[in-house]
Amino acid sequence: MLGRLESSEGMMRDMDTKKILNKLDYYRIYMILAVIFILMCLFAPNFFNTFNIINILKGMSLNAMVAVGFTVVMICGQLDLSIGSNLTLGAMVVIGLQPTLGWFPSLIVAVLAGSLVGAINGFLVAKAKIHSFIVTLGTMTIVQGLIFLISKGSALSVNDFTLADWLEAPLFGLFPPRVIITVSIVLIFFVLVKYTKFGKGFYLVGGNKETAWLAGLNTDLYLILAFILSGTTAALGGALLAMSISSAVPTLGVSSQMVVIAATIIGGTSMAGGTGDIFRSMIAVLMLVVLFNGLMCLGAGYEVQIFASGLVLAAVVLGESYALYEQDKVKGQRPALMAELKKGAL
Amino acid sequence: MQANTENQDVRKREMGKVSSIISKLGVYVLVIALMILGTIISPKFLTTSNFMNIIQAVSLLGIVAAGVSFVTYSGNFVDMSIPCIMAFSGMIAVDTLKYGIVVSILCGLSTGLVIGIINGTVVGKLKANPIIWTLSVAFVGSGFMRWFYSGKQIYPDVNGGAAAEVFISLSRTNVFGTIPLIVIVMIIFMILGQFVMTKTKFGKQVKLVGSSYEVAKMTGINVNGVVSGAFIVTALTASIAGIFLTSLAKTGAFYNGEGYDFNAVTAIVIGGMTLTGGRGDVVGVLGGVLVIGLLSNVMTLIGINTFSQSIVKGIIFIAVVGINARSLRKLGRDDA
Repeated sequence: MLGRLESSEGMMRDMDTKKILNKLDYYRIYMILAVIFILMCLFAPNFFNTFNIINILKGMSLNAMVAVGFTVVMICGQLDLSIGSNLTLGAMVVIGLQPTLGWFPSLIVAVLAGSLVGAINGFLVAKAKIHSFIVTLGTMTIVQGLIFLISKGSALSVNDFTLADWLEAPLFGLFPPRVIITVSIVLIFFVLVKYTKFGKGFYLVGGNKETAWLAGLNTDLYLILAFILSGTTAALGGALLAMSISSAVPTLGVSSQMVVIAATIIGGTSMAGGTGDIFRSMIAVLMLVVLFNGLMCLGAGYEVQIFASGLVLAAVVLGESYALYEQDKVKGQRPALMAELKKGAL
Repeated sequence: MQANTENQDVRKREMGKVSSIISKLGVYVLVIALMILGTIISPKFLTTSNFMNIIQAVSLLGIVAAGVSFVTYSGNFVDMSIPCIMAFSGMIAVDTLKYGIVVSILCGLSTGLVIGIINGTVVGKLKANPIIWTLSVAFVGSGFMRWFYSGKQIYPDVNGGAAAEVFISLSRTNVFGTIPLIVIVMIIFMILGQFVMTKTKFGKQVKLVGSSYEVAKMTGINVNGVVSGAFIVTALTASIAGIFLTSLAKTGAFYNGEGYDFNAVTAIVIGGMTLTGGRGDVVGVLGGVLVIGLLSNVMTLIGINTFSQSIVKGIIFIAVVGINARSLRKLGRDDA
């Protein structure tokens, strides 16, 4: 009797620790960011100053924007490999059309081009029921081919730097408009996806498609919307970057793709779908940029940056799967009974 | 009960239709179509030297795909660390050439083996998501390589001894006078892969794990071991291909093998394997590899440039997989 009482107390304690662990898991990315930031402030020369912080924020804004749509696709339990080429598409279209159309119309066309690719992806995944890995791998090749075909493999640029200057010059001493636009879009979609009734549908579809369908959700529509959003934000991010440097190269998105995938995973979105949020993806992108930038301040080359970001990703994936593995081991066991067994009360 | 038999009737009727033909012949419909197209388009197509070119061009991809098909077959999608394994084994092999050719190749292979064991353990035992894990291995590996060799390429030192010459000639050797060694190796791997996949206990276990992980586990199969095995096989074949690639390029570099991950999965999926696992075989994968080779060849003969070629390839890829999935669904063999 006494043993049972004690064990129920133990169970309570277990649940408390579990809750704390869950909370810790949720805030994991903030902690990683804080640790890296503080370490870099302490050890990297020329890291903590206004100029460099602005640089970091600028470095974040491209991938954070791309991560918005990608995270939603991942929440739906799908994968979008075409973000890299969509991003390049947005950049190339906006620069290519600017001389004839002007900035704003060409931006609209660029973003719509991304949405169109996203819509094709979504339609093929939801309606033709082809695996998203295959669909987006295919569209990645197609879009990349299109970009090279139209640009003939060369870089595009324009001579109008007024918009670029405006986008890059910091407002309030710290935030360039490009960063403000990015962060506000991230926040809008973060709230929209996480806190509205409609947005929560994405989590349901990703968690269990059958249940979502039975609950009356139009699952196909959600999938298509997720891919459209992914295409749109990728193209928008690429276009904004191109506008702020007034040029674009056909290989712009190659490195971005892997960084965005890594950041989304580090930010706590699971490949299985149903979990994660956009804001934490942005924080993860920020963390990677801080890591890159700090290592650069320390004098490390590009190779060390890749190595370090790979190690962070590997550590996060390993930690996550180890936690699941441990959880799996005790699945179906009754903690109270196990505690008693351990104590030898039975 | 009645509904059930009615269902079966519908299925039987469907069996006679196109769906069944497609799912039986699979990718070889496309192979034959491309060959007919090639013959019509150019008289140069139907020559021995052209065919040898086609096969030689895809032989490395074939070696990789034969290995990766085990990962796909076991329901683990794809091994994204393949480019990293290929580059790494090549570099290690070049680096250890001073100890002789045998040591060098063994070192190259063991590099692949180590990465394969790591992948296998993490994906098999800890059940990490295969795409994400192998992606992070690719990150770490390629970063390590760049850091270790400070971003430089390394070359086999031809003046340093016979080993370097043997290493370089590895990919330039012809067996029986005309057939390159790489092609022979690819064919051996394809035959071996088909044999292992369909005739051995390991292959059947991989199939069961790919079809239904839970059922395989309940049956008492060592699922961890099987998945690990699949990743180790993949890593080994990738490192063999990597050594050949390095020998072909005469250069060990971190960018060797780039794109082989996606190309391999393209070949495998065109060849009729489903990403969910447990369906398809290595003969189909060989077909997929041939399609990729024939497609480039035919399009080059027509005079389509490289950029348009990638567009056509992408469209054909999605279309083939879409038709495959559709015919499987019509036959009631797929719930996806």
